Amino acid sequence: MNVKVEKQFQVSAFFTFFLIHSSQTGVGILNFQSQVIKHAEQDAWISLIITWAATHIILYIIFKLLGGGTNDLVAVHQYCFGKAIGSIMSVMALVYFWLASLTVLRAYIEVIQIWVYPSIKTWQLCIVFLLTFYYIISSGFRSLTGFSFWGVILPAFLFFLIYFPLMHANYIYLLPAFSHSLSELFFSSKGYALLFLGFEWILMYYPFLKSSNNRDISKWAYLGNIYTLIVYLIITLISFLYFNQEVLQHLPWPTLMMVKIVKFSFLERFEYVFIFIWLLVIISPICISLWACTRIVKRTFSIPPKATLLFLLIAEMIVSVYLQEFKSVDYLVNFTSNVGIGFVYVYLPLLLIIKWIKNHFMKNRLNKI
Amino acid sequence: MIKEKNNLNPTENQTPAEIVKRAKKSSDFKEIQKNVSGVQIFILYFTSLIDHKTMEHVFLPYINECEKKTGQAFDINQFKNSLPLEDIIRTKEATEIEEKIHQGYVLIQFENNLDDFLLVNVNNLSKGIRESNETENEFNVIGPKLGFVESLDTNILLLRTKVKSPLLTTEEIVMGTLSKTRVMIVYLDGITNEQHIENVKKRLSEIDFDIIFDTSALVQLIKGNSYTPFPLYFSSERLDRISYSLTSGQVVIFSDGSPYAVSGPTTIFDFFLSSEDYYYNWIIGSFFRFTRILAIIFSIFSSAIYVAVMTFHYEVVPADLLGPLIESRANVPFPPLLEVLFLEMTIELLREAGARLPTKVGQTLGIVGGIVIGQAAVMAALTSNILLIIVALAALASFTTPAIVMSNTIRILRFPFIIMSSFLGGLGIMIGFAVLLCHLFKLKSFDTPYMVPLHPFRSNSLADSIIRSPYDKLNKRPDFLRPKDKIKYSPKESNKKKEDINDE
Repeated sequence: MNVKVEKQFQVSAFFTFFLIHSSQTGVGILNFQSQVIKHAEQDAWISLIITWAATHIILYIIFKLLGGGTNDLVAVHQYCFGKAIGSIMSVMALVYFWLASLTVLRAYIEVIQIWVYPSIKTWQLCIVFLLTFYYIISSGFRSLTGFSFWGVILPAFLFFLIYFPLMHANYIYLLPAFSHSLSELFFSSKGYALLFLGFEWILMYYPFLKSSNNRDISKWAYLGNIYTLIVYLIITLISFLYFNQEVLQHLPWPTLMMVKIVKFSFLERFEYVFIFIWLLVIISPICISLWACTRIVKRTFSIPPKATLLFLLIAEMIVSVYLQEFKSVDYLVNFTSNVGIGFVYVYLPLLLIIKWIKNHFMKNRLNKI
Repeated sequence: MIKEKNNLNPTENQTPAEIVKRAKKSSDFKEIQKNVSGVQIFILYFTSLIDHKTMEHVFLPYINECEKKTGQAFDINQFKNSLPLEDIIRTKEATEIEEKIHQGYVLIQFENNLDDFLLVNVNNLSKGIRESNETENEFNVIGPKLGFVESLDTNILLLRTKVKSPLLTTEEIVMGTLSKTRVMIVYLDGITNEQHIENVKKRLSEIDFDIIFDTSALVQLIKGNSYTPFPLYFSSERLDRISYSLTSGQVVIFSDGSPYAVSGPTTIFDFFLSSEDYYYNWIIGSFFRFTRILAIIFSIFSSAIYVAVMTFHYEVVPADLLGPLIESRANVPFPPLLEVLFLEMTIELLREAGARLPTKVGQTLGIVGGIVIGQAAVMAALTSNILLIIVALAALASFTTPAIVMSNTIRILRFPFIIMSSFLGGLGIMIGFAVLLCHLFKLKSFDTPYMVPLHPFRSNSLADSIIRSPYDKLNKRPDFLRPKDKIKYSPKESNKKKEDINDE
């Protein structure tokens, strides 16, 4: 059942690090604080570590799913459920992947409309973005890998900006530490889950990773996940130190608010620059997920990927234009986050159990014959 | 759509007699009849192609001598062996005869044996070719000034004097249906990857073209992807630069009549290295290279950023700086886009006019254009002072690229960015940047990624890209060229320990 991908389309295992990390970071990083501070308050950073640990386990499960003859999601589905039901399950996964891409795109468009160009119409931005994304995705997985690599390296200099909020940091805000119950911590970790979603696309691009053994890829994947943890930990701590909890609960975009105070002798309002550079960061989650969609369609129905891509992009545009209000975008984000949590943290472990049962039966049947 | 080859091609399937007949239509084709040992011989040649000195002092006197000897019976082989010239071919092939008489060979036909011909080389191909081989377009302050000339043989001689290695291998093919240009593929046998050599040969053999004017024209014909403003193959007239790419494992293509050699597979960084970087100390060399790369980034983005800031994001300019900006733009009646396009086009005009004019007039033009027009445009309130500074600096910055082909690309790249920024401001610039990156990621030069070592990322090849490392770190050939011998030279480990204070 293994899919064979030609060597010229593959990328080396080392890039798994960047693919995992870059598909996790999207627009969520700009406004996650109000979600996570509700329950665990100043202890939310512990919730972050809990979410990271859960993600690590899911990554382990994913590599278990991808081993043993089934090296992508479509193959796993067909193995577990047979051709017909397997295809239906793959289409469900496609819908979720598409939703994830749509959410990042719509949220970024909203950030642009609110922060930079208040008068620009959604459809205008949509057309520009979709043309760009069509060009990027249609140039193949290797180019996407390039974006995920440079989308991590180039914006890395933005880290130096933490100097500015740190100047106003108030260390008292983190105290008292460890003062929340487990259930509160878990509720906050659910808020963090959206930030970690995205790594599951490895289910589709796994055959495109060049490696002698499975270990090599999983090692880089775990490291990528750890890097994501570090990035989020820094941003969480900085925003907790900079804002007090009351403010943070009602602030729509705390990360951008922190960037706003950055000032140079030749440059003010640094959040403009930040938002524009953020385009490089969101290219990976949007494009890799859409690429994974086209891959699912190609694997299950053998429809040419470019046609699928065009269809999916136009669908994204229609839905984006339809979601006009701030509230509906918020609803979309919450909906996707719930679907994603369901898919990743509930469905994937179940799938592994089903695979094990199936393996067991297959073995028994073989023994009987 | 593939066009059928013309079957009525007059140069195919012809006899030697027909060739001679056609050649005789040209007024510079001469025929001399002599009688040697009782056999009538015809000496046929293009008088414009041969070396008259050899003809008059060696060849004809010898024939005259033969005429006097009447005793012996005539024998072609003996005649061939006793001719006092080095390159004599005995042939019956019509195509070979046709090819050679156009290269300055003398054709000798014998009355008693009409099928057999002798071809004697008395050509003078260096006739009419410039002598001076100083590099004119790629200038260096220090380092050798030797460059290539229009003669292929001279170029190969220059290369062989630089690289006196037995590994240096040349392969010749003749290209161009009308020009019959000699094209030479040069590589280091046993070091350059065979895949590249095969690839070059395959792509060259696929070309069907009439006249090969220059190697740079040849390169456009072998390009895999013609929808790109980027040069996919490196062309240089500098001997040291081409020897360097040869030793790092690239294939070099020469063609007769062109002072430019082309090397490939190349990466984008090849266009930003000047051979001068290697003549300075590595710290200074790295600094220059870094400056150059910064200059290119500045050159591409500066005018676009000006348009974006002036049209959409004047908030990002601090208040103290905004004052002078507004003041200089106060009287300009155009939107920033038109203002920038007007100035950019002026600079393009100056550059184009400067390139077409003779050197001495060109300098005057620079002064007239740069100072007079620029000053007058500001005085007439057509542009702002600050924009004039930005555009002039950007133009200056674009000329720091050592390869002229790349500097042209950079100048063109600015316009899409300017237009994008006038539509969408900073977002437009970033979208343009993303599309540019994607385009670069897709490009390939002889099936090798163009953006290597940046994409796919190769940390071990970074030693000679953005910075120029010291020579003992540069002893490896770049990995992406997949050379068969990875080590160029092995520097000796210095035995000296690091010195402590006053260590005796």
